[in-house]
Amino acid sequence: MKKGIILLVLMLLALAAYGCSTTSDDETFDGNINIYTRDTSSGTRDGFMRGIGFPEASGNDAVLASGFATQNNLGIMNAMTVDEYGIGYVSLASVNDTIKALFFEGVEPTEENVINDSYGLKRPFVFMTRAEDDWASEEIKQIADAFVAFLESLDGSDVIADQGAVPLPSSYRWNDVAADHPICAQDNSALTLRFGGSDSITRIAEALSDAFSPRCGNVVTVNDHTGSSDAFKRTQGDEKDGVNAKEIGYSSRPFRNEELETDPETRGQLAWDAIVAIVHKDNPVNSLTAAQLRDIYAGDITRWSELLED
Amino acid sequence: MHTQTDTPLPTKLPNIKASSKNRRIQDTLIKGLLLAIALLSASFIILIAVFVTTRGIIPFITDNNQLGRVDVVGFLTGRVWLGGATFISTAYGAGYLIVNTLYVVFLSLLVSFPVGVLTALFIAKIAPAALSHAMRTIVELLASIPSIVYGLVAAGVFLPWIHSLARAMGTQSSGGNSTFAVVIVLAMMSLPTITAVSEVAIRSVDKNLEHASLALGASPTQTHFKVVLAAAKSGIFAGAILAVGRALGEATAVSLVAGSSRSGPNLGLFDITATITSTMLEGMKETSGIDYDIRFSLGVLLMAVILITNFLLNFIKRKVGKIHV
Repeated sequence: MKKGIILLVLMLLALAAYGCSTTSDDETFDGNINIYTRDTSSGTRDGFMRGIGFPEASGNDAVLASGFATQNNLGIMNAMTVDEYGIGYVSLASVNDTIKALFFEGVEPTEENVINDSYGLKRPFVFMTRAEDDWASEEIKQIADAFVAFLESLDGSDVIADQGAVPLPSSYRWNDVAADHPICAQDNSALTLRFGGSDSITRIAEALSDAFSPRCGNVVTVNDHTGSSDAFKRTQGDEKDGVNAKEIGYSSRPFRNEELETDPETRGQLAWDAIVAIVHKDNPVNSLTAAQLRDIYAGDITRWSELLED
Repeated sequence: MHTQTDTPLPTKLPNIKASSKNRRIQDTLIKGLLLAIALLSASFIILIAVFVTTRGIIPFITDNNQLGRVDVVGFLTGRVWLGGATFISTAYGAGYLIVNTLYVVFLSLLVSFPVGVLTALFIAKIAPAALSHAMRTIVELLASIPSIVYGLVAAGVFLPWIHSLARAMGTQSSGGNSTFAVVIVLAMMSLPTITAVSEVAIRSVDKNLEHASLALGASPTQTHFKVVLAAAKSGIFAGAILAVGRALGEATAVSLVAGSSRSGPNLGLFDITATITSTMLEGMKETSGIDYDIRFSLGVLLMAVILITNFLLNFIKRKVGKIHV
């Protein structure tokens, strides 16, 4: 009895030790590709799938290769520290040195490459205000103008960067231009500025609102985020005079079609959300193209050796 | 204890008589109050069942904003969670989730049942008093750890181990997210329930049975296994039923280590899996429309699965409990 137990414990220990000591070998790096994805409600997934030319996979699990694992941001990061044959994707802000960030089309995922537009796997965060002559009052218009100036200042950039996105470069601080917006010197606590649009931008938008309000006479800000399409609809489209009307709408995709028929002066970009394909540190693959990523997620490429040949 | 048998009664009688009417009113009041409280707590169950069911049948009886109805048979037998684009397709299938859920719960019971019962036997019969007390406290502590903590420990500590184990056995796992991980987590979580209930059952076995067994020449080990455990099996089984209930309903910890497969059934130990609960939980906060309502349908399905499982287990328990040694 006793001997049996000791033998069993020894066997378990040996098994555990064997499990720990095995490491992957670059020479023979070949395994089935384990695919990790966010679930269909994720904005990062939408950005990634569109970025690799696989938009139908944005909201549809059925077109993905079989056997994929669905995880949240943290789950994908953790999995890449463990699973040497895995591949996943996260926002650039989540990337750290516990995992390997893949080059996209040969371009390294860095903030610099995102801003100079050479890194392609990204989506823009854009905004739209009401049309020039369509404001509830002159005061609201001036406050909205001040908000856009704040958004594009270094102070606005800091807020955006804190939330994990890559802000567009800026050259001035809010204090340098505050004087150009005398409305902000008044008490604006009776006025309300309404924000809406993309829900994947909610955190950034709320942080911007919170940072702006005390700088502009404590103007009341309301954030109501429902989806990118509502950015245009509720500022200059069908619903601009309805109960859900907004002063400023955000979108986490480029404006398109009828949205582009608006006055360019009312549109702008505040940031990029860069998405990075990540793998385990032991993975010898360094760079993938959009087509390769698409083939991996569609199940046309299933083994790492297929990617290492070329 | 204070007794009144020696005190002269007559002097106290009038008092008792005078207050007996008041006492009766008091009794009635308390009875009514307790009934009201019992009804209140029972009504929560009804409230939950009605709410989940009314939400849960929406996908099957309305046209879901022109998307069309979800097919009930397809839902119950489906092997793919969603055969199309979210918010556009209604081809939901949860059949594989039912199989997965019962499978992981069964496997977890296979681990937690023997370990739990043997632990209970040790605590109740073999361990010295001080150790027994300490062990019981530990088991109680285990039972009070929130499931999210189990999940985080499993995700942070067990997943890498399981991944290495899979590699050592010549297969490839998705970072350890697997049926195996879910089974371990569920076994850990149901262990305290089985241990605590089994311990009570073992303690309440008639001492005379034990003494008789020992007097007949059986060793303490023979007595513990063949007499005590056999006599306590009805109570032990009740513990197992509670554990199954907990395991069936566990969502948070499971969803952290399951990997959320979207098709199945997933029977491989190192393959990713998904249960009814983990699928309900996932994306709940970010989705809307039919994709939101369908999670309530899963809730109805889960309640049905739990009810049927409990009914079957109780039926088996009655059968098992009747056989005496």
